[in-house]
Amino acid sequence: MAILETKDLRKYYGSGDTQVRALDGVDLAVEQGEFVAIVGTSGSGKSTLLHMLGGLDRPTSGTVLVDGRDIFRLKDEALTIFRRRKIGFVFQAYNLVPVLSVWENIILPVQLDGNRVDTEYTRAVIAALGLEKKLRSLPGQLSGGQQQRVAIARALAAKPAILLADEPTGNLDSKTSQDVLGLMKVTGQRFGQTMVMITHNEEIAQMADRIVRIEDGRIVRR
Amino acid sequence: MNVSNHSCIRRLSLRALRASRTRNLVAVLAIALTAILFTSLFTIALSINEGIQQNNFRQAGGCSHGTFKYLTRAQCDALKDDPLIRAYGVRRFLGMPTEAPFNKDHVEIGYSDENQAHWGFCDPAEGRLPREGTDEAATDTRVLELLGVEPATGARFTVTFEVDGQTTTQTFTLSGWWEYDEAVPAHHLLIPESRLDAVLAETGVTPPGSDGMVGSWNLDVMLKNGAGSIAADMDRILANHGYQSQTAGEDYISIGVNWGYTGALLADKLDAATASLILGVLGLILLTGYLIIYNVFQISVAGDIRFYGLLKAIGTTPRQLRRIIRIQALLLSLAGIPLGLLVGWLLGGVLTPVITARLNGVRAVVSVSPLLFAGAALFALATVLISCRRPGRLAGKVSPVEAVRYTEAQPAGRRAKRNGRGVSLLSMAWANLGRSRGKTFLTVLSLTLAVVLLTLTVTFTGGFDMDKYVSNFTASDFILADAGQFQNGGDAFYDGMAVPETVIDAVNAQGGITGAGRVYGKTAPAEEFVTEEYYRAVWADWNTPEQLDSMIAFMEPTPDGLLADRVQLYGMEPFALEQLTVLEGDLAGLDDPGENRIAAVYGVDEYGDLEPGSHWARLRDTVTLRYVEEYEYFDPDTGEVYGPRENVPEGANFAQRAVKYRDVDYTVAALVAVPNALSYRYYGADEFVLGANTFIRDTGTDCVMYYAFNTTDEANAAMEAFLKDYTGNVELRFDYESKATYAAEFESIRGMFLLLGGALSFIVGLVGILNFANAILTGITARRRELAVLQAIGMTTRQLRWMLALEGLLYTLGAALLALALVCASAPFTGPGLNRLLWFFTYRFTLWPVAVVLPLFAVLGAAIPVAACRATQRRSVVERLRLE
Repeated sequence: MAILETKDLRKYYGSGDTQVRALDGVDLAVEQGEFVAIVGTSGSGKSTLLHMLGGLDRPTSGTVLVDGRDIFRLKDEALTIFRRRKIGFVFQAYNLVPVLSVWENIILPVQLDGNRVDTEYTRAVIAALGLEKKLRSLPGQLSGGQQQRVAIARALAAKPAILLADEPTGNLDSKTSQDVLGLMKVTGQRFGQTMVMITHNEEIAQMADRIVRIEDGRIVRR
Repeated sequence: MNVSNHSCIRRLSLRALRASRTRNLVAVLAIALTAILFTSLFTIALSINEGIQQNNFRQAGGCSHGTFKYLTRAQCDALKDDPLIRAYGVRRFLGMPTEAPFNKDHVEIGYSDENQAHWGFCDPAEGRLPREGTDEAATDTRVLELLGVEPATGARFTVTFEVDGQTTTQTFTLSGWWEYDEAVPAHHLLIPESRLDAVLAETGVTPPGSDGMVGSWNLDVMLKNGAGSIAADMDRILANHGYQSQTAGEDYISIGVNWGYTGALLADKLDAATASLILGVLGLILLTGYLIIYNVFQISVAGDIRFYGLLKAIGTTPRQLRRIIRIQALLLSLAGIPLGLLVGWLLGGVLTPVITARLNGVRAVVSVSPLLFAGAALFALATVLISCRRPGRLAGKVSPVEAVRYTEAQPAGRRAKRNGRGVSLLSMAWANLGRSRGKTFLTVLSLTLAVVLLTLTVTFTGGFDMDKYVSNFTASDFILADAGQFQNGGDAFYDGMAVPETVIDAVNAQGGITGAGRVYGKTAPAEEFVTEEYYRAVWADWNTPEQLDSMIAFMEPTPDGLLADRVQLYGMEPFALEQLTVLEGDLAGLDDPGENRIAAVYGVDEYGDLEPGSHWARLRDTVTLRYVEEYEYFDPDTGEVYGPRENVPEGANFAQRAVKYRDVDYTVAALVAVPNALSYRYYGADEFVLGANTFIRDTGTDCVMYYAFNTTDEANAAMEAFLKDYTGNVELRFDYESKATYAAEFESIRGMFLLLGGALSFIVGLVGILNFANAILTGITARRRELAVLQAIGMTTRQLRWMLALEGLLYTLGAALLALALVCASAPFTGPGLNRLLWFFTYRFTLWPVAVVLPLFAVLGAAIPVAACRATQRRSVVERLRLE
């Protein structure tokens, strides 16, 4: 059964002549443990789709089902809590909290949830990402690739069912991109996580189990 | 190479300015607040100064620069056209009515020309000045009220007055009147010069009469050179016509410089303590203004650092960057300063009357001196320019590459601490404050200043000591005496001013009196004997050494070389003696008829400390007092004896010596200070206090100068009402003073300072809160993206608000702790400092303002971030994530 499913998902911005149809009826199903790459040109609506999948933005119409549950029926507060338990995000711009150390950044979502940190698991994630020696550093002291690995560790720390990545390698050179993505894939498989990644890089997309192409807010099948 | 790039720089400044509206609003408000502080203070200061000056004019009786006094007509005509004189006015004094109903008011009858009347505040509100050749007269409403005349032109009234000792009764027709002004000490009844000459002829007085005043010409002048050099200019005018004002003689003309022109006074009044206080307050305002404006620009530059980095990358020089910031600052000042000037002036205008109301009789004037606005604008502009210097340097120094990566987080040696403990909202809030320690410190400091200032104000006003204040002015609950005794510059005490026993009986009949005593005043001549050295020291204040020489030459020393000098004596009943401050010795047995004890009266300063030079008699000294029954007059040069005063030929030199007298020896039992309320209230001579019975026995007189008494608390109000009615309607010759009057005056002084300090604290507090709000707001907008990320990874809105509220609370907690520390640390210095500054002050350590302000700050500290957060929440997380 699909862990992540969208039904006729639409998101329109503006109205009349200036209306932009960012998503125009997207039906997508992602199976448990699957690694899906969403590709498309800029402005094709791929980021909007990812935001919808993660419950960061509300659609104009349609539903997003996570584990069979319509997430937009939840109120904002509940949605946030749902998100931090079920979904991990990795952003193109890393988005680490600059005043917190690497370790604190990684465990932040867990602690925000008021849970005890599963140290063993977290250490395993950190080891898998090769960050053991950087735990006390502040984000500003790390390279881009290191920061993105911290962001991935943060996304995984709460043991989310789904990992959503928005151009995770967009700011990295190709060698580092390969490394980071390889790590992401390996850790995802190891911890049994479903992954949805946005990219416009075909080479990177090839690493996924499945590639979904999106154009003008619709999924293009070929 | 000089490139014409000004328009380009200006355009950049304008665009940058337009891009940040919130910042502009905060900056304009900050600049305006600073300008408000300066303007309101300057308004208050200048208004008080003008008010005092006007008041001085009214007390001095006019606003002319100076007066040439007691001239002959010829002298007057000669002087008045001197080129140094811009305008002149002539006044001739005729006489004064002294009998009831005029016994409580100083009324002068005389002629004033139009200029003089105007300068002397005698401008008829209705009607006009009297015309020559008529029986017209003009006066104020108070005189009309005393005469029982309705103010209506054409009303006829009769006044009996003395012209150089000759009593005359004259009838006048009212031609005009003006409002009675209580600050002007003398009331004027103006008559035409023709009438004045007629009355002089009628009474047979030839100017200047026996007192050298009556009918003589007084020339009031306004000088071409203004008020800066009045005395020197007047002396030059005299010299131009062969006169001088220094030593007596044929060419002597007395001059009077109007002391109301503050130019001459300010220098005397501005002592080091006052000056440093004024400088301190100005410095404090400069600092608060600087703090916020600096913070605004600092934050704004930090926020726009990428923009500046970009500009630099494409070739803008640091100097040009600094200019971009300076132009922005100036443009913001252009909006902020005029706003501040206006609001500040209005605020000052509101506060000034409250202050002047406490300054006895000073009429409220709100200054509109251009100096005020120029000064305030200049100070505010200086604050702005100083404030944007460092941010300008920061923008100029930024490396174009680094600017792109610039965040506020400074990873400075904190790694070791950030380990293992995990994160909580509080620790995140704390870490966020550490992002920019300079900004955090300035914000906390500006909040702190407001708290400290408020505490200082409360400490200051709370320390006003009513007992110290009231006891300085009055001794007992009530004092009753002849009205003249309470009037400044009234007559010296004489037997006609005595309080008769019938009046005392009337007071006693009211009941409720818990203690009472008479103070007898001296009405017969008495002398003491002092060394020549002491005599010279005492009289040197009023006389030149030459004059002293001639004074001493006229005196006949006693065999042991002492000189006889006038002495002032009090006779006091026990209740009055209790009101004295005993500095040394004791008053026991002062009234014991067998002992001949006496107390010497010393001067004390405002803090109650004895001034050793103010008397010569020491404890246990023997003092001989000479009660003189008859003087004889003689020529000191020839020794020829004239006998009584009336036998002295006109214009002859004469000296006096006692021929019939009794000498009594006393032992000095105590050195005392007499409260002002029970003293003669004018400088007379060395003073001694005797017991009432001793006084009556030795002086042979028993004229009661004051009747002082206390009442029970319950009877207080009734007694006050009785005395008001009694002295106002029944026994008009008498007047009274009560403790309640001074207590009310005290309260209003305290209220004034509380208001002033409160207003100042309020404005500074506003600056602090504005600064705080600005720091929070910019902190949140700068972190919009980061906060969105936090939400994206699972921070709920509630948690976000909590974190921001905690940040705010940490600011206020910091401010509270810093204020506490500052107040406690400064207490050892402020206490004695304030005690020295005000004599009626008792320092008490106060902390409660900190405690009161704290909850207010806490609420604001939590509310502002939460409100700001709510505003940003209007945009979705995704939108905020996209922001660069």
